[in-house]
Amino acid sequence: MIRFLLKGILRDRSRSLLPVIVVALGVFLTVFMSGWFQGIMGDMIDMTARFSSGHVKIMTRAYAENSDQAPLDLALLDVAELTGQLNEEYPDMEWVSRIRSGGLLDVPDENGETRGQGPAMVTAIDLVSPDSKEVDRLNLSDAIVKGELPDQLGETLISNDFAEKFEVSVGDKVTLFGSTMYGSMMFYTFTVSGTIRFGNTLLDRGAIFIDIKDAQLAMDMEDGATEILGYFKNQPYIDEEAMALATSYNEKYSLEEDEFSPKMIRLAEAAGMADYLAIAENMVSMMVFIFIIAMSIVLWNTGLLGGLRRYSEFGVRLALGEEKKHIYRTTLLEALLIGIIGSTVGTIFGLALSYRLQAHGIDFSGMMDNLGVMMPTVFRAVVTPSMYVVGFIPGVLATVFGSALAGYAIYKRKTARLFHELEV
Amino acid sequence: MKNGTIISIDKLIKQFPVGKSKFTALNGLTLNIERGEFMGLVGPSGSGKTTLLNIIGSLDTPSMGTVTVLDQSISSLSHKQSSRLRNRHIGFIFQTYNLLPVYTVYENVEFALLLQKLSASARKKAVMDALEWVGLTDKIKSKPAMLSGGECQRVAIARSMVKRPDIVLADEPTANLDSKNSHHILQTMKKLNKELNTTFIFATHDEKVMQYLNRKVSLEDGQIVKDEVIENSKN
Ligand SMILES: Nc1ncnc2c1ncn2[C@@H]1O[C@H](COP(=O)(O)OP(=O)(O)O)[C@@H](O)[C@H]1O
Ligand SMILES: [Mg+2]
Repeated sequence: MIRFLLKGILRDRSRSLLPVIVVALGVFLTVFMSGWFQGIMGDMIDMTARFSSGHVKIMTRAYAENSDQAPLDLALLDVAELTGQLNEEYPDMEWVSRIRSGGLLDVPDENGETRGQGPAMVTAIDLVSPDSKEVDRLNLSDAIVKGELPDQLGETLISNDFAEKFEVSVGDKVTLFGSTMYGSMMFYTFTVSGTIRFGNTLLDRGAIFIDIKDAQLAMDMEDGATEILGYFKNQPYIDEEAMALATSYNEKYSLEEDEFSPKMIRLAEAAGMADYLAIAENMVSMMVFIFIIAMSIVLWNTGLLGGLRRYSEFGVRLALGEEKKHIYRTTLLEALLIGIIGSTVGTIFGLALSYRLQAHGIDFSGMMDNLGVMMPTVFRAVVTPSMYVVGFIPGVLATVFGSALAGYAIYKRKTARLFHELEV
Repeated sequence: MKNGTIISIDKLIKQFPVGKSKFTALNGLTLNIERGEFMGLVGPSGSGKTTLLNIIGSLDTPSMGTVTVLDQSISSLSHKQSSRLRNRHIGFIFQTYNLLPVYTVYENVEFALLLQKLSASARKKAVMDALEWVGLTDKIKSKPAMLSGGECQRVAIARSMVKRPDIVLADEPTANLDSKNSHHILQTMKKLNKELNTTFIFATHDEKVMQYLNRKVSLEDGQIVKDEVIENSKN
């Protein structure tokens, strides 16, 4: 019987092609959108983790409260000891210290007079030590427009926009003005080793990268850092694990009465990230839900039309002694076959496109200049195991559900009535 | 082969609801049909022929009175039992053939056997036999759309006969056929009637069909007005 039905489906294109196309299209869109969306969200989260939040981040309690002002006076001290402790206690994590601070970048002319000046967003990292992973983490090599990476203390990377505006060339000297940890005036001169551009205003505006040792010296914060970032060594961000880690750490080291005691904050708690994560999770299930409803309605209608056109077939089958129940079941079976065919096709195409966009993202940097959120400009999809089923199962369900609704009208009718309708 | 009463109808009344009132399509019919008859229900359109065939075929039920087919009372059958009765014992032939367009001639005939648990080889033999009875063995791979009306009706006859039913119900089988094809299929059916002792019941107002009948029951307004045996009918 199944063989017979399959033959019927394959031969009667008008009966099967439209539903197969509808299902395939819906499944394709679901799979692809899910990959695309997860890819973008994943990249956003990843980028935030790399540039600002880490998978977890340790600051003093007071700094954490006011972190948007980057208050140097509330920075962490004895960082070497802290990091040593962390490395020992949490060997699966990599710990790095950074200093963030605001300041003014001054470009002198040949006489040492100010030629141009602009706000600076200082990020001090382990920039020059040969085994530093920070350069890769921040993807600085790819961001370089002119010059090269610093290879010794006293060198800096500055924003290419800034460099162009004030005609700063590689090898020129620039002076960073600001304040020390204790509030006195600070200035420190660097040699520009290269210029960088990320294509994201949030990162590019006044960006200047220096080595943390230079920063500690300049800002009078020996063995200090504004934050220590922790990254899972062998895995991407997993909120449950980060939460467990932060809870245990804070219970042990974070003292409510001491505002200079450290506090660990996980990525999801960082500004806005909780929302992103929630969206990332809900978006896919919402899409799938809408898809099932829409597909079911479409397939209900095609099922109805198909059913009406096949009245004479059903009538003949009744006359041949097939039970109504059996006819209904076989229509569902047919729907299942159509659903499987359509969903397979849709999933294959969805995965194929996602794989392609995983390997070669689409560069939107031209359209997304001055982007105000931490978002990559190259959109990539990601292929996750869930994508093999995220479209497939709803596709099959919708087809069967749609036909069940359509077929039920037929199933409910009395045999005589059905048969009478066949004769007209 | 043993003969005897295969269908007995007693004071059959069939009413259809029409709006709030009822329309009486069959009004107190009493009739016995013997195995092996080649008989026809004749009468003008609307006289109740189709309604009676549908009840005999257990596609519909009596409103009052009893109809017994092969010792089973139609009104007491469950849906499952009536399906089984049709599947095993009754073949249908329709005015409009009602072949399944996506399947070949062979598959259309085979379809009738799919519900029975037959081995593939037994099924194949049955299908080929049936197609041979109607002279269509050279068209087994054709689709209905490629056949003439006469050929389609012959496929339908093969489909109704392939399971060797006790009773074949044929509702206006020649209405869409020209004279030559009508005679051809009637001769085919008459031959099967003789060879297999299958009971044929026609609903018709076609003179050509009447020439072949051994018995003619005339209906008017749901009542039998004449019941005549015809001695030397055409073969
Ligand atoms: N399901 C039904 N509902 C209402 N009236 C019906 C139904 N089936 C048949 N009839 C009526 O019963 C009468 C007999 O119909 P039918 O048996 O089809 O006649 P015939 O086949 O002799 O032309 C007709 O008047 C027809 O309109
Ligand atoms: Mg009729």
